[in-house]
Amino acid sequence: MRARVSEAWVELPLQHFADQSRVTFALLLQPSGQVLGQFGFTRAMDVMAACSLAAAINVTAAQLGRELDGTPFRELHHAGRERELFIAEAPSARGPLVLLAAFDGESSLGLVRLYFRELCASLAAAAAPVLASEDPTKLDLGENLERDLDRSLAILFGRARPDSEGVISVPPSIPPA
Amino acid sequence: MSTTQFTGLMASLTRQRGVLGCLVVSERDGIIVDADVRTGVDDAAVAALAAALYRRARLCSEAAGLATVNFLQLEAEHGHICAAGRDDLVAVVVAEKGAPVAQLRTAILQAVELLA
Repeated sequence: MRARVSEAWVELPLQHFADQSRVTFALLLQPSGQVLGQFGFTRAMDVMAACSLAAAINVTAAQLGRELDGTPFRELHHAGRERELFIAEAPSARGPLVLLAAFDGESSLGLVRLYFRELCASLAAAAAPVLASEDPTKLDLGENLERDLDRSLAILFGRARPDSEGVISVPPSIPPA
Repeated sequence: MSTTQFTGLMASLTRQRGVLGCLVVSERDGIIVDADVRTGVDDAAVAALAAALYRRARLCSEAAGLATVNFLQLEAEHGHICAAGRDDLVAVVVAEKGAPVAQLRTAILQAVELLA
C-alpha cells in the first residue's frame, strides 16, 4: 500500500515509517489539523475526522503536560483491546508536525517508537527550507485554514494536483470532502 | 543504582563472559521493562526488534506444530543475540562474538525461570 501525500517531501519518510513499523493507519498533519500525508485510509471523511481529533488530542495533551509537568507531553499511547494508538509531535524545519498511527498485533509500541524516531530524522532532513517571511511555529488559523484543509484532502484523494509552483487548484464542480 | 525485581536475573546474565548487555522486554509492546547494557548498544531499538523477532519465532514454531520456543539465538557477524521468554516477558542478551554461547544458553534458561 502506498502513502498518499499533499506535499511531496513527506512521502518517502512516511512510506518508510509505514512499511517498517507495519502500522495499519498513519496520518501526518500540521498542528492546525491540515493533513500532509496518510497511509491506510480510503475515505476523505475518515482522514478529515482523524485529523481534527488528532490535532485536538495533541494540543490538549501538550497543555495537560504543561499544567502537570511544566513541559508538553512528548507522546501519547492508547492501548485498546485489538488496536493501539500512538500520537506524537515530530519536529521539522517546516515547524512541528503531528503523527497519528494506529496499529494491531502485527506491530508493537516499541517498533512504532523506533521508526517514529527515524521518521523525525528523515523529516528534519527532507523538509523544504522555510521562507524568511514564514514562521513555522505559528499556526495558520486565519481565513485560509478551511480552504487549505479542503485542498490537502483533495490532493490526497486525487481530486486536485499541485501545479509546478506547488499551487493547488481544486475543480469548482467537485465538492469539498 | 536502584534495584528492581529483575536486578538479580540481569546480574546473573551480565556477569557471563562476552555479554554486552541484558534486557527484560515486554513481548507484546517491545518496550524495555529493565535493562543493563553497555554504552553503544541502542537498548530501545534492540528491545523493540528482539521482542518482534521472538514473537514471530514463537508464532512460527506454534504454526509448525512445534509448541513453544525455548531459546532463540541470532548469530551475527560480530556477535550474538539470545532470547528466551515466559508469559509476556522476554530476556534478551547481547553478546560479543567470542562469548560462550552454550554457557549463555544455560544461564538464560535458568534466568527465565525467574521471569513472571
